[in-house]
Amino acid sequence: MTKHVTSFQMTNKMNCFKRFQPEVESFGLAHGLPPKSVFHLTLCLDELVTNIIDYGYADFDEHPIDVTITLDGSRVNIRIEDDAQPFNVLEAPDPELDVPLEDRLRPIGGMGIHLVKNMMDRIEYTRADGKNILMLQKNICNECCPQG
Amino acid sequence: MIESKENGIFILAVDGNLDAEGTQAMEEKVLALLEAGETSLLFDFSQLDYINSSGLRVLVLAYQRLKKASGRVAICGIKDYIQEVFEVSGYDKIFPLFPDRNGAMTGM
Repeated sequence: MTKHVTSFQMTNKMNCFKRFQPEVESFGLAHGLPPKSVFHLTLCLDELVTNIIDYGYADFDEHPIDVTITLDGSRVNIRIEDDAQPFNVLEAPDPELDVPLEDRLRPIGGMGIHLVKNMMDRIEYTRADGKNILMLQKNICNECCPQG
Repeated sequence: MIESKENGIFILAVDGNLDAEGTQAMEEKVLALLEAGETSLLFDFSQLDYINSSGLRVLVLAYQRLKKASGRVAICGIKDYIQEVFEVSGYDKIFPLFPDRNGAMTGM
């Protein structure tokens, strides 16, 4: 059985979008993923990696961020591993969507994570050996159904 | 980015990707327009392929600044998968979204 896996490493000093966007694009193309799914995967990686880089490090050193994307049947798994400070997206507060924009304490805060939680079907966080390991899962068949 | 002005409405046509780099360019442009006293902004996103939460933040910034000045911000031509980002974030209720530029020019 062919294994549908791609792995790559970035660092916090890179223009990460320019690095991972072509990877996700070609992975999607190679496996015939719907463009909308490719967009969701790209956006979620973007939001999470940006978050790691913007808030994750207390020093000014270069840090690796490892990404593995796997296609398992109709399910795409993304694994992100970083050595930034502990950050569990599942515990991040949701944006104040019910509060009018002008009254929100944090007008835009948490929106990136909110998008990720909405566009992924499963998120699992582990902290191990000084690393954040985030496992994201997206069911591609959902995309075909209007209710997906 | 292509800029134009029609009937008092400043139109910013953004193409390609609003990634970190593209968003920074758009933010600088928007701040300059607000600084110059523009009060009606239309973002033409018909050629836009990608936006993230940082891109949304720039739109919200324009909205908040212009609301105080009784100004207007609208968006036209967004692709369906980008519209979903507006819906999930709840910003489809804040920004008038028009299918195309003509509709926006008459509806704004």
